Amino acid sequence: MDTKWKSIKKIFCFMVFFLGVSLTVWNASSLLQNMPDRQPSWEIGSPLENDYQQTWRFQNYITNRLENFLSIAVNGCLDDWYYYASEYYDGSWYVGEEAYTLREDMGVNEATAVLGMESWEGDDWDYGDWDYGDWDYGDWGYDDWDYWYMDGYQWYERYQEMDPKERESLTEEQERRIELLERRAQRAVERYFADMEGDLNLLYSISYDGKLLYSNSELLVADGSMQMPEGYNFLLYFDGEKVRIVKDGEEVDIYGDGYYRDEGIDWYVPGYRNFPVNEEMKKAVICMAVAKEPLLYTTGMDNSGGYRQQNNSLYWMWHNSIMDGRLFRRNLIGLAAGLVLLFFSCFCRKGIQEAAGKIACLQGKTWVEFKVLILFSVLSAVLQQCLMYDYGYEMWQEIAYVYEYRWEAFSEYGGILLSNLRYMPPLFWVILFWTVWLTGNDLRRNKKVWRHGLIAKCSHAIAAREVKLPMAKRMVRRNAILFTVIIASGFLVLAGTLVAADYGLWRYCNIWGMILWCVLITACFILAAYLVGGKNIKAAKEMDILSSRIDEICRGNYNGSETFGMEGNAESGSGSGTPNGAIWGSDLGNTMSQLENISQGMASAVDEQMKSERMKVELIANVSHDLKTPLTSIISYVQFLKNEENLPEHVQDYIKILDEKSERLKNMVQDVFAVSKAASGELPMNMETLDFGKLLRQTIADMDEEIQNSSVSFRTELPEEPVFIMADGQRMYRVFQNLFQNALKYSLDGSRVYVTLKSDGKLAVASVKNTSHMELDEDKNFTDRFVRGDKSRTDGGSGLGLSIAQSFTEACGGRFELEFNADLFIVNISFDRTEA
Amino acid sequence: MSECILVVDDDREIVKAISILLEGEGYEVLKAYDGLQALDVLATREVRLVLIDVMMPKLDGLSALMRIREKQNIPVIVLSAKSEDTDKVLGLSMGADDYVSKPYNPQELAARVKSQLRRYTCLGDIHAGSRIGEIRNGRLLYRTDERILYADGEPVKLTAKETGIVELFMRNPGRVFPAEEIYRRVWEEDAFASENTVMVHIRRIREKLELNPKEPEYLKVVWGIGYKMEKH
Repeated sequence: MDTKWKSIKKIFCFMVFFLGVSLTVWNASSLLQNMPDRQPSWEIGSPLENDYQQTWRFQNYITNRLENFLSIAVNGCLDDWYYYASEYYDGSWYVGEEAYTLREDMGVNEATAVLGMESWEGDDWDYGDWDYGDWDYGDWGYDDWDYWYMDGYQWYERYQEMDPKERESLTEEQERRIELLERRAQRAVERYFADMEGDLNLLYSISYDGKLLYSNSELLVADGSMQMPEGYNFLLYFDGEKVRIVKDGEEVDIYGDGYYRDEGIDWYVPGYRNFPVNEEMKKAVICMAVAKEPLLYTTGMDNSGGYRQQNNSLYWMWHNSIMDGRLFRRNLIGLAAGLVLLFFSCFCRKGIQEAAGKIACLQGKTWVEFKVLILFSVLSAVLQQCLMYDYGYEMWQEIAYVYEYRWEAFSEYGGILLSNLRYMPPLFWVILFWTVWLTGNDLRRNKKVWRHGLIAKCSHAIAAREVKLPMAKRMVRRNAILFTVIIASGFLVLAGTLVAADYGLWRYCNIWGMILWCVLITACFILAAYLVGGKNIKAAKEMDILSSRIDEICRGNYNGSETFGMEGNAESGSGSGTPNGAIWGSDLGNTMSQLENISQGMASAVDEQMKSERMKVELIANVSHDLKTPLTSIISYVQFLKNEENLPEHVQDYIKILDEKSERLKNMVQDVFAVSKAASGELPMNMETLDFGKLLRQTIADMDEEIQNSSVSFRTELPEEPVFIMADGQRMYRVFQNLFQNALKYSLDGSRVYVTLKSDGKLAVASVKNTSHMELDEDKNFTDRFVRGDKSRTDGGSGLGLSIAQSFTEACGGRFELEFNADLFIVNISFDRTEA
Repeated sequence: MSECILVVDDDREIVKAISILLEGEGYEVLKAYDGLQALDVLATREVRLVLIDVMMPKLDGLSALMRIREKQNIPVIVLSAKSEDTDKVLGLSMGADDYVSKPYNPQELAARVKSQLRRYTCLGDIHAGSRIGEIRNGRLLYRTDERILYADGEPVKLTAKETGIVELFMRNPGRVFPAEEIYRRVWEEDAFASENTVMVHIRRIREKLELNPKEPEYLKVVWGIGYKMEKH
């Protein structure tokens, strides 16, 4: 219930907002649009009062009529050449009747010759260099005829001003023309009144020199009494001096201060000080009455039997004025309602925001291409609206016209755009507003709008298929796609250009069309290149990350993965990972995660090993410590026993054995400790440059006593010149001491131990060779801890000698190698030579 | 003259063994089995030398050593099952005069005790300054005019060549001499197969002046380079 109410409230809030905005925009644009270009007498009150007589149109109409009436009264012909020019029958334009009949009788050329100025050539009255013979009659527009008639009219006016003497000099042909023109002028006046006669919305009476010339109603009394018949509320009376106007029983002040100003407010009628009445006009008396509420007058047509509307200008003026007023009032009410709704919508902004969010949700589910299409069509419609003046052409022509000319016009007169905006229907404004609003809403609330679209879907589908391919194939495929796109774009540009050239479309499109086409293709190309090339760039970046990660792992940093695979992890976290563990949109994501697994595995293995090694060292240290304490007592008391005198012989033997074994135990404990330290790499080293040969000599000298006491002899082959190596002397002494002791212990009696040092440019190799007194087991790894030459393990060794030797050598950076050849036991210790 | 020595170790058998050893040498031995007891004894008795184990209950040897050093300047020999260099350095820097690792050689221990006592009681402060014609290095003293080497104040019997080697080293403590140079300067002959000869002499000298010739403290081999007298 609660949530339902909430959603209803949300919808309500948004509807208020929607209606408010729409009404405001619609009515405001409608109001602006209907505001006339130039309406001096238009006041804010008049549309509301709905008085068509207060509009500038009405004023124009009346002053026009007055001007024509005056012309007819004074000259007997119209002041307005329009009525000479053409008449409108049955939907087609025809020239004046004379021309028509002439054309019927004589053929077009002759008619022209008669009516045109050709016959006047060579006279004083030269009306121009018209070459009538070239005229293509099929193409004649009414403009040409108008021009002709206007000339004719002007000529006729001139004729009227001629004195009789001049008239005598006219040729027969010219007289015939004048006769024609006079007839036509008369007919024009007749038509003028025929058009007006039946329209009783305007009653007129025209008198000249006291004689009534024309009138369409006896009801109108033109005696200056300003009386008007029933149903009429506007009366204009020209008495030859001034114009008087009575409207709704009140006299209208026409002349003001007596000067006419062309600001649109003043009535354009004679009688001003700067617009005086001439002598001929003074004889004219004209009276006009206008109906308060005009009617539509229609009469039957004489010749065709149909109906024909009278002039009815006033009726339509009144009708339009009523309609405009209605529209204006409606717009005002609508605007007010819209503003009120907008005001109320301010109070439910939260609801509107939520509704906007919902709409954004829906928008998010729409394909972006669809949205772009709609936006584009709306914007292009508006643009077209702005660029076009008029309608009636076909769309394509119009667009071509716009691109060919209007751009230039636009650049020259930027105002066209704005002035044309006015003619845009209100619905357009509303649609434009909501399109912009929706676009803004979408962009603001939906992140990565372009993600949901046909192109995105396609590329996603391609990516989904790509995931199954190995990296190298993906790269190849992408390059192929890119290549195809490049070729296709080039082909399309070429083809488009050729096709357009063939159809002659450039005539319409000009350079703009070509540019538009190229821009379109380029945009497609860039889009494709972006989609494809972007992936390769991404892959390259990933490769960079991967290689730096491998580098880090090599340097022993197993856990520094902060910068690594963030995006990939984030995306796989949202459940879009593929079955084989690959990551969307990432070529190396899988590899990266595998590498991460390996590095983690390595890290944990190294940790584990370090831990166990540390534990082992600690254990050995503790054990050896715990062994040392009782050993101390044993050694001490054995010592006392040894010093004891008067012991029986056999007890002294026992004590001797105890002494030996306790000594050996002590050595073993120390060795175990040393080897465990060395193996765990915790041995402190004191590396220095030393002479390898000297080290060997010193060691042999140090053990001289033992060697002398043994049954084996040492043979040395050591170079006199120094052989420098980098090592810890103390440790290396221990190494050779162990080796020599081993040699002494396990050599065949009477055999020789060979100690040699050989060096080439880079390497110094020391070898200790001895002949074993027993068979060497080749499967045995002598450097393993507690491995002993004899299986009975009864000699005095700890079994750690070679192990220690190897550990120490390697800790010093040397290489320790064992070789057997039959009974020959060889140890090679090699170091890199260094400079002194 | 019976000097009083305090032996501290949580292992009673070791204490007993040491006391037998030292009483055999004619010293009076006091026993303690942890650091606190040792401090108690020191507070009540006049003690000339302390032998103290490191790992003990209640108060370990090094802490006890620091407490002792707050009040007394008597020689302290640290006995420990920890035999690494770092342990030795730690013990010595905490104020121990000597460091003996277990399992010790009884003779060596007795010799060290004797050496420390002699230096403390007979020679007094070793930094008193050396007279002309005397070269002092730790417990060694070489009189150049007499050409006699004293260890802990006792003259050491040396042959002529040995004396020559000792003089060379005593005059240049800390300097490393290759065997050839020693041979040339002492024998005043060209060196030939010098290594063995020099080594034999050095070993003999060591046996005469080092407390433990297998782990020499003064005459050391610098492996691969030569020999030197450690500066103490």
